[in-house]
Amino acid sequence: MALTRRQFMTLTGGSAAAAVIFAACGVPEDELLVQSPVEMPEDMVSGRDNWYATLCRECGGGEGVVVRVMEGRAKKIEGNVDFPTNAGKHSARCEAGLQALYNPDRIRGPLIRAGERGAAQFEEVSWTDAASRLAYQLQNLRSESRQRRVVFAAQPTGGHAGYVMRRFIDEYGATYVPFEPLDTANLKSAVRTVFGQDRMPDFDIANAGFILSFGADFLNTWGAPVRYSRGYGEFRQGDRERGTHYHVDSRFSMTAANADKWIPVKPGTEGLFALSVAQVLAEDGLADSAALDALTGGERSMLDQYAPSAVADKIGVSADTIHKAAHEFGERGPSIAFGGGSAAAHTNGEANLIAIYSLNHLAGGVGAEGGVRFNPPPPLDNIAQPASAGTIARWRTLVNDMRSGRIDALIMAGADPFYALPGSLDIRTASYDVPLIASFSDIIDDSAAMADIVLPRHAAFEDWGTDSPEFGPGYQTVGFQQPVVRPFFENRGAELGSRGLGDAIMTIARMAGLDLGLGDDVVSFKDIIRADARRLHALDRGSVRAATFGEFWNGVLQRGGWWDANATIAPNGHQPPALTPYEEPRFDGESYGFYLTPFSQTGIGEGQRAHLPWMQATPDPITTATWRTWIEINARVAENLDIREGDVIKVTSPRGSIEALAFPHPGVPPDTVSLPFGQGHANHGRYAKDRGSNVFAILAPLQDSQSGAFAWAATKVNIEKTDEWVRVPKFENTVPFSPVDEDHRVYEVTETDS
Amino acid sequence: MIPGDFQIKKPSGKRVALFSALGLGGLAALTAAFLLFMWVMFAWFTIPPAIGEGPEQPIDFPHTTHVQELGLDCVFCHREVETSAQASIPAVALCMTCHQAVDGSDEDAMADIQVLQDAYAEGDPIDWVRVHRVPDHVHFVHEAHIKYFSERDGVPATAVCSTCHGDVGAMETVQQVEALKMSDCVECHRENGAPTDCTTCHY
Repeated sequence: MALTRRQFMTLTGGSAAAAVIFAACGVPEDELLVQSPVEMPEDMVSGRDNWYATLCRECGGGEGVVVRVMEGRAKKIEGNVDFPTNAGKHSARCEAGLQALYNPDRIRGPLIRAGERGAAQFEEVSWTDAASRLAYQLQNLRSESRQRRVVFAAQPTGGHAGYVMRRFIDEYGATYVPFEPLDTANLKSAVRTVFGQDRMPDFDIANAGFILSFGADFLNTWGAPVRYSRGYGEFRQGDRERGTHYHVDSRFSMTAANADKWIPVKPGTEGLFALSVAQVLAEDGLADSAALDALTGGERSMLDQYAPSAVADKIGVSADTIHKAAHEFGERGPSIAFGGGSAAAHTNGEANLIAIYSLNHLAGGVGAEGGVRFNPPPPLDNIAQPASAGTIARWRTLVNDMRSGRIDALIMAGADPFYALPGSLDIRTASYDVPLIASFSDIIDDSAAMADIVLPRHAAFEDWGTDSPEFGPGYQTVGFQQPVVRPFFENRGAELGSRGLGDAIMTIARMAGLDLGLGDDVVSFKDIIRADARRLHALDRGSVRAATFGEFWNGVLQRGGWWDANATIAPNGHQPPALTPYEEPRFDGESYGFYLTPFSQTGIGEGQRAHLPWMQATPDPITTATWRTWIEINARVAENLDIREGDVIKVTSPRGSIEALAFPHPGVPPDTVSLPFGQGHANHGRYAKDRGSNVFAILAPLQDSQSGAFAWAATKVNIEKTDEWVRVPKFENTVPFSPVDEDHRVYEVTETDS
Repeated sequence: MIPGDFQIKKPSGKRVALFSALGLGGLAALTAAFLLFMWVMFAWFTIPPAIGEGPEQPIDFPHTTHVQELGLDCVFCHREVETSAQASIPAVALCMTCHQAVDGSDEDAMADIQVLQDAYAEGDPIDWVRVHRVPDHVHFVHEAHIKYFSERDGVPATAVCSTCHGDVGAMETVQQVEALKMSDCVECHRENGAPTDCTTCHY
């Protein structure tokens, strides 16, 4: 058919029009298509958040926190405004609880050793399998009456977890050896001697007029930093006269940086400084006379040997400094004196602390407002923090026993002695003679790596618990810890995944045929807590009161705990002990050039939190350094030794050597160097493994002459520059001063700066 | 030819032209009217397309299992319904938060969940077939409607959805139950004192 041009145009137009008309009748196919995108939009905030009150278990302060949970996942941690110790504040350590919960290196199921001991090669087994292996061995040892040769090494644990643990140890008859990297034996025994108290006192910083602190970096790592910092805010900026603070320490710590005056002393002479202050107080009539009599045994002239002019040289300060500090202390009251940390970590550490805490008696601040207040025993007698602390003396004996085959089993919970014992004790080779090592752990740390059986424990946010804070607010407080999320490995079934420490111990006890005497109707760890919550309910006092137990239980969990501000303890009238003759500190390697004053890090502490990247990246407040081990050296000394920041320094003690990055800093006493604890793990997850150096490796296992506590600041070292240089990863930097003319800033570009 | 016989006058050329034009015009008008009629009827009865029986979907997603048995809220998956115009379809990743572990209870379910898991592994979106649709010139904002009804009755958002969508939780395959014609909109707007200006919806 012939098609004319006109026809063609008509047909095209017509069909186009028809297409338009008919297409409009139906719905185009792509209009009926609706896509599910592959990934969720990143900025999508939908659903509702729930806030659950629970406890932070990352720091020793016993802080109450609230956790924001969205759709079953914990998102953010904030301080619990109600909780007495921290009153809404919290620390960076608390924040990192999230990374402990969602850590990629968490143990996903029970493990048994598959390779050589210490090679960290494991095979996954079921809970029934792993627990029954342990229970079977324990039962066998018991039937041979060797249960005393089973050692339970654990971090001193309060609350109900500690209660179940101690019930297990007592019922089985095992030997309990507490372990803390930096033990608190000196502190506890000094508090007992000076105040006649078993519990740590509370310092009323908020109402104090003058604070004299020794060694303890209490605004950063020591005791309950959040509580102290809160008080310190009031002390400095509250609606009152600004308080004054002197800090005596051989390291320029964050606390020293905040003080009005930092008094650098020779390591180990903190006690002597305190005695000298006491002498000035006595001589100038500023001391409470009853306390003075008790301290001197009525013979006040015995203090004269500590007159500032006589001891100033030994301490390394001027006599005037001591005079001034003593007068401020005596006249600007109410005054508090307290100490710990490096001041307690010497061979005369306990004596140092006794001298320091005795000053409170002289100032009359014991039990008074703005002074030292005491914590009453908790309302539930079974949840108190154990009074004993592990000491290096106890561990030395234990390691010797291990080496000579007198230990049949070592069970660890929350303790990492294979990392944090001094290297020269060599627990590692000693442990080859221990037939069975088991560990309750949430990560393969250096101790779990040595274990034959590893039982994974819940993260704090998955578990139940209670805590009567060791550094309490001065009245009865019981914090309640509740799971805020389902266990992360729950989908792996009941036989795999993690379990709470209390529940795991109860399971093993059942399998080993032990009756822990927890009550007939107690099946799970939660039942124990509920049973004791009933006893709290029956008291009918305090922050939560309710008609029925159900309401009480909900109330306690919602508020994060129970406390009674009226349940305080009256001062017991205890007087300080008579002074014993001053004992000089001893050091390992007297001929070495520098005193080594190690310190705990803000984030990773003594290495317990090295697997948490947020903690690794938390800058040290003084140097702003992160992620590495650095060594603080006096800037002028460094200049003389031609050491620049970042030079790799070999630090040698009589017990070994490690490497650290140089950090010259004007605030370091010339005869001292400082190294941070916490790095140098062989295991402990991807963020900690093979990073930095372990300071414990070069420490001498010296101990306090009285208490046997670890004298971790009593090692001397030499430093030596190596050829290597590594940039110190730090948060801030300084720009070298450059000459400026009237109008312009002149920058000099040198070869090394480019 | 007989004289006097009625003879059709041979129309003049002019008339022929006129009548053919009229006839053609009439035919065209009739056709156009018919087409218009068909178009209206077609549109009326075929849109919404899913009334009666719902369309087949790439995955037989059983609302019954998820809503009735597992008790999920509507807003758990249709997350934006309270905050934006669209109710929104969940991302594959959201499905995978459960289905990386949940593989299904019977063979059909397992096959369907496999499709989902494969799509996620490949990074492919899933093309669902839309069930509820209003024409382009109508703007329906979920947020405003959900907010009004849930505040008026003091009920959660989830309880409002069924007003227009029926009990989706009980549907094996989602289908449309209300026609959602303009008359429905206007009626409801009148009952609730909402504006009925054209520009309320047509803007």
